[in-house]
Amino acid sequence: MAAAAAAVRGPDPGSVALEVEGVSVSYGQFVAVESATFSVGAGECVAVIGPNGHGKSSMVTAIAGLVRRGGTVRVFGTTLPVGEPRAAVRAGLVLVPERRHLYPQLTTRDNIMLGGYSRTRRVWAHQAWAEVASVLDMFPELAPLLDQKAGTLSGGQQQMVALARGMAARPKILMLDEPCLGLAEAVTHRVYDWLGAMAATDMTIVLVEENPVHALRVCHRAVRMYRGLVEQAEREPESERPAAELP
Amino acid sequence: MSQFLNLLAAGLTSGAIYGIFGACLAVWFRVCNVLNLAVGDFAMLGAIGTAELVQLDHFPFVAGIAVDLLAVGIVAWLFDRLVLHFAFDRRAGGHGIVSVFFYTFGLSLVIEGGARALFGTDVHSAPAIWSGPALTFADLHVQRAGVLVIALAVVSGLVLWAYLHFTVSGRAASACGESVLGSRIVGIDSALFRRRIFVMTAVLAALFGIVESPLTGFTYQSGPTISLIGVVAAGFAAFRRPGRAVVVGLVLGIAEAMLGGYVSTEYNDVLLYAILFVILIVQPEILGLGAVPA
Repeated sequence: MAAAAAAVRGPDPGSVALEVEGVSVSYGQFVAVESATFSVGAGECVAVIGPNGHGKSSMVTAIAGLVRRGGTVRVFGTTLPVGEPRAAVRAGLVLVPERRHLYPQLTTRDNIMLGGYSRTRRVWAHQAWAEVASVLDMFPELAPLLDQKAGTLSGGQQQMVALARGMAARPKILMLDEPCLGLAEAVTHRVYDWLGAMAATDMTIVLVEENPVHALRVCHRAVRMYRGLVEQAEREPESERPAAELP
Repeated sequence: MSQFLNLLAAGLTSGAIYGIFGACLAVWFRVCNVLNLAVGDFAMLGAIGTAELVQLDHFPFVAGIAVDLLAVGIVAWLFDRLVLHFAFDRRAGGHGIVSVFFYTFGLSLVIEGGARALFGTDVHSAPAIWSGPALTFADLHVQRAGVLVIALAVVSGLVLWAYLHFTVSGRAASACGESVLGSRIVGIDSALFRRRIFVMTAVLAALFGIVESPLTGFTYQSGPTISLIGVVAAGFAAFRRPGRAVVVGLVLGIAEAMLGGYVSTEYNDVLLYAILFVILIVQPEILGLGAVPA
């Protein structure tokens, strides 16, 4: 619980949590992300917005070490090696990926428990579960589903499992890639209620969202991606400025 | 009654052979969705390699077993580093159905050719670990090697089942087969699990070959037949449940022995292949020909 509290308290306000310098991602000849540079302060909630297919997901998966990249990523001053997602997780950078990528034949309990894989270092599954079970306080709707296979859950329930798995790692920086993609409106509201609560803590959040209206409801500012390039944007309430006018 | 009991003992012995190779196939498929069609060749290397070391090179028996298992482990490790690593981690090779069996099928052919060059074409048997006359209980006669085969299969099946169900490592290994990306984002090294389980099952198959060889003998060509019966047993266990593969293997062995004893031994292979065809027609996905979990 001490570590969980630390995650919520966060590091010193004003310090830089995530530094991205000149990050580029290519798939063969296609350049998905071109020299992306931005930083996120500790405790900030930053949205990465932009149209589909313009490099948002490629950038966050590259930051998380899941695809090969150029450039530098630092988490609280520590440079992450290229292509090593374990190092990112151990540094406290956790990604909740687009389309969730759960383990469909494993139970909800196992899915959440494995979120703490890099942290708990336990031999027995029941001991590891005991160390992460407190995440159910944030997602009480999952309690009756713990022994159900994740592949049999609804899309909304699966998204809750993906969020709980991310939180089981006790992240210092939580990156969420399109967490509401394909979900019903009611579930989207539930996810954003939870995100709003997290954004009000000192946790650092990077939220990839195609819809800037949704994103800026909880985030302090936005980073816009267009054709693989990063632009910066200050927060403006969506009621005062149409989403299409965001830079 | 005595015929039934002796057929039952023979069936359990052959069934244990099916089961353990099915378990080796199932546990690795569970981790990386690839069939290890070289598992029988690792058993052959265990049996013939130990026989050569002990009988021709005059190694002490235990040392011969240890050196042979080490050599098999190194072969498996090298194959992972030199082939599977580039095929799966670097995404250099073909995927889909090609990756399901092509790489290990190629390894099987390479091992077979190497074994022929090294050991010749004769039948080899490693010395019996538990030597002596058959154990007799009333009218029931059981070879000591058969008892070891059954015991090793049951213990291996139980250990693998417990590993997958009760340990974090076992859960992480299963997660790798369910979603490579999903496992990597929580810090699970899917390549490491693939390598560890591949080497472990190769060594287990080799050990089983050593234990089994006094009963069946091995030639350089024994591997593919063993792998095929392992595929059948693993197929019945949805290719992901090594404990169930051992149970299915035992049932298959008993059915085969009863069929051979009460009808004709000519139907043994017919039974195995008929079952394989039924799987292909009724549930092809459990042979890796259907949808693979995301």
